[in-house]
Amino acid sequence: MKRREFVKGLAVTAAATTALAQQKKASPNAANPVPNTSTLTQGEQAVAPNNASAPAARQRQARMASFKTPNIPLSEPDVVAVTDVRYFTPARYATLTRFADLLVPASQGYPGALQAGAPEFLDFLIGASPADRQAMYNDGLDRLNADCLKKSGVSFAKATAAQADAAVRPYLKGWINDHPPIEKHENFIALSHRDIREATMNSVAWAQAAEVSGERVSVGMYVHPLDPGIETWVNHGAPKASAPLTKQAHS
Amino acid sequence: MAEKKVDVLIIGSGHTGGMAAKILTQKGIAVTMLDAGPAIDWEKDRTLKAANQLPYKGFDAPGRHPHIFQASEFSANQWVDEKVIPYNYPAGQQYNWVRVRSLGGRSPYWGRQSFRLSDFEFKCKDHDGFGENWPISLKDLAPYYDRVEEIFQVSGHHDNLPQYPDGNFVEDNSPWSPAMQRFVDAGKKMGVPVTKARSARGRDGMAASLNLLIPDAVATGKLTTITNAIVRKITTDKNTGKVDGAIFIDRHSHREMVLKARVVIVACGTLETTRLLMISGLANSSGLLGHHLSDQIYGAGISASVPEARGGKPGVIGGGALIPRFRNLETKTPGFMRGYAVNVSSSPGPMDPRWFPEYGAALDKKLDEYNGSGFTTNIMGETLGHYENHVSLNKAVVDAWGMPTLTISTKYGTNEDNMAKDMVDTTAAMAEAAGFEVLVRNYKYNPPGYSIHEQGTARMSDDPKKGVVNQWNQTHDHKNMFITDASVMVCAGWQNPTMTILSLAMRASEYLAEEMRKGNV
Repeated sequence: MKRREFVKGLAVTAAATTALAQQKKASPNAANPVPNTSTLTQGEQAVAPNNASAPAARQRQARMASFKTPNIPLSEPDVVAVTDVRYFTPARYATLTRFADLLVPASQGYPGALQAGAPEFLDFLIGASPADRQAMYNDGLDRLNADCLKKSGVSFAKATAAQADAAVRPYLKGWINDHPPIEKHENFIALSHRDIREATMNSVAWAQAAEVSGERVSVGMYVHPLDPGIETWVNHGAPKASAPLTKQAHS
Repeated sequence: MAEKKVDVLIIGSGHTGGMAAKILTQKGIAVTMLDAGPAIDWEKDRTLKAANQLPYKGFDAPGRHPHIFQASEFSANQWVDEKVIPYNYPAGQQYNWVRVRSLGGRSPYWGRQSFRLSDFEFKCKDHDGFGENWPISLKDLAPYYDRVEEIFQVSGHHDNLPQYPDGNFVEDNSPWSPAMQRFVDAGKKMGVPVTKARSARGRDGMAASLNLLIPDAVATGKLTTITNAIVRKITTDKNTGKVDGAIFIDRHSHREMVLKARVVIVACGTLETTRLLMISGLANSSGLLGHHLSDQIYGAGISASVPEARGGKPGVIGGGALIPRFRNLETKTPGFMRGYAVNVSSSPGPMDPRWFPEYGAALDKKLDEYNGSGFTTNIMGETLGHYENHVSLNKAVVDAWGMPTLTISTKYGTNEDNMAKDMVDTTAAMAEAAGFEVLVRNYKYNPPGYSIHEQGTARMSDDPKKGVVNQWNQTHDHKNMFITDASVMVCAGWQNPTMTILSLAMRASEYLAEEMRKGNV
């Protein structure tokens, strides 16, 4: 194609793709133009005029640009699988399981902590948590077990409701805002109680029970990652002279 | 290459950057506004989801936002990640720095409480000898408060209290619910005023620069907006000492851009503004830049139950209230200076399980029995902007764009402790006098920064030795540089600062437009 004809073709493409821009009156001082919806950059058009001007290529681009997402219902992994338990020692995990069952038993058609997989989920969550939170749980579970042995002569995992209550009740305290009790064991009881309730009520099993009972699980406004870019740079480093091969070298 | 120069550069697009853009463009001045983050697409970037659909089931990734108590897994992506832009503090002096980088800044997440400062704040030193007076009084700012309240559609009730100045309100004449009326009456007997809350209604579900200010600037055709533009340095003309633009980095590519400007307005939010000025080596002939950091204490308060409302009985409970400062006005309270306000709230909804020292079936029974009877009070207490409460540059740790970070050295003391204690004891006594059952008394308050009202690090003064900006928000050291955010505040008061910084930004921008017209800037 002759240079002049290419420029003419370019002008047509630009006119077609910025029809929207023409409708809105561009303000004289605003430096930000209405976005061009073309999938070809001006640069690509200049470097590869054949690609840019070939009708088949342009039609294909237009079809791809108008593709709509098919509706494919998705499920949570918990519907078909269980969390692999790997963080807590067997003794601590047994204590946690008994503790979770005691604090949040099944009731009124809703699953308790055990049916909801709360101990398994907390094994994952605490295993992935900072050291201070891990220590809070490990020390707290050990203390529960030790107190139960001292008071009732049985491990917490094997305690009856009354024996377990004797180990827990002295440390129950009400709290508000972001201020759980300061005393170490009261702090553990308050925070782990909250975690166990939350893991139970935010579980897939709970949502399924709610659906069966005709109630609705509450929803929140989830904010997606915003125009990510920070992470890319932090993970991979800033562009350097020695950095990845150029686009041409790959093609 | 062609030389480019803009008239006014505004760094930051939050409440005050947006206000400056609106006022200046409406006066016919071309403005370029930069924001360090992306523009949120409010349709595509948010989805309603249940917690069980999130990867961490509502717990969020462990350790992701250790200093943002407000963050949840739902909102985690809207806050700045401290691993990307770190900051630190001396051991034992936790500071919760809560930041947002996206178009509109923190304004879309504002809690919307809308208050005027009174002359108890503007002339605080005259009243009790601590700190400095502002170079302006309520009379100077009142006409601007009027206009800002109109834009933000502030609802409120005229109460005629000198410490709680009335404004240009969408009048709130709604009656108290019976439970709240009893709390109001209990307050009357104890000399504690309980008033209607004052809050910005905004428009279309938002009260932010994003929808109430920036669109007006866009409509003039005079606004150029650039997102993902991280200002690395404000530059100066060596010959004149005036600022002459900025160097900014594209957030994604790290391409550095040079921008020249006749006037620079810094509106990055108090501590980011302070950091940028320190990095640029500007506006600190007083030596006070970064000092006098203050805010308000939050977190102390009570929870209670209104017996008559239990079991979800309708028409008994509901609605909120505000107790404006009532300590240390005409009398002197031992143990602390200044005062606090209280957010009061009552709700016919479910009770918070944390309030009860119970578990299992017994807890469920309590929650059923007490359902619909919840009542809470929460403190908003003035903290004192001591000189020692300060920030400094930490060149050893840089952020993801190579900029030095901040060390924040501030702490609360006995004044705050005693204030919180007085608040909890007083509101618990009022609740009991009203016949409520107090469930939890919490004397502990959150770390500094939590209220997201950080302020005072570039304070206002007529004396260039005592402050960074003059009464027009113009820096003493550089006539063509203005600071519009809360760093110019002289004393915190108990009030949410938003209405005040918006009014100051409006006033400063009109002054600047006039000075530019006269050719003085």
